[in-house]
Amino acid sequence: MATTNATIDLASDITDSSLAVSNTTQLNTAGTTTGVNTLTSVTKVLSSTDHVDLITTGSVSTTHAYVYINNPSTDESQYFHVHIGNAVGSGTYDDGTLPTEEIGTLYAGDWMWFPWDVDDDITIKPSTSDDMTVEYMVFS
Amino acid sequence: MATTATLTLASSDIAGDPVSVTKTATLTKAGSLIDLDQSTGLSRVHLRSATNKVLLAANAEGNNLAAKVYIINKSTDASLYVTVTINAQTIGKLYGGDFMFIPWSQTDTAASIEVAATSWTASTGDIPVEYALFHEDTDFLTNA
Repeated sequence: MATTNATIDLASDITDSSLAVSNTTQLNTAGTTTGVNTLTSVTKVLSSTDHVDLITTGSVSTTHAYVYINNPSTDESQYFHVHIGNAVGSGTYDDGTLPTEEIGTLYAGDWMWFPWDVDDDITIKPSTSDDMTVEYMVFS
Repeated sequence: MATTATLTLASSDIAGDPVSVTKTATLTKAGSLIDLDQSTGLSRVHLRSATNKVLLAANAEGNNLAAKVYIINKSTDASLYVTVTINAQTIGKLYGGDFMFIPWSQTDTAASIEVAATSWTASTGDIPVEYALFHEDTDFLTNA
């Protein structure tokens, strides 16, 4: 058992009264207070706009994991569509009939953090065919 | 007018060497360096149903615009979880104390973010959930 903590700090002055949120959680196995004990950390460089696998269910041996994905680019034209569900490669993309759901778009400098039920692959589609770097970590 | 989100991941023993990652993002409009300028603020609901409930309703006009969603399960019971789905696609389970922070595309009006207190029973008590949306699309206002 390992002890891993995740902390989020949100600060916003969009509203007249500023928002400041800070929360820390320990990353535990499903429904327990036992810490996760497996970490995968990967950096990939993608060079096409194909919709491809990023994290496959076969790479994780549990049904509860925590995922961090980062787009380290500083070029605002370089972003990733992040999906959950099967990749379609260079085929028809997101036509509403495919078994994939777009979660969101990770723009340059953005990161995302979420629990994953390891039921479907996490897939991405880069915005350009330039070399685009994506980083991810999986705790399980 | 800026919003920043910082994630810190730290562990001294999950690997042979300590792990420490800190990443800050300044939330901007789609494909630009202009700050997001709209927010729902921080909201709180108490879930008492294992049935999916719409937390944030999608608006297809949000597609290709930037939006970020923060959700946290404020239960102190590690066994009580909330299942988060988008368009019936399960993303994952937020156990007591867990949070998520994701971009949200809303590719169509079916892409609402829904939550279910899947482990809830009459004896567990309500599961408190807090959430916030930061976005650029004015039409979110009537749907949030």
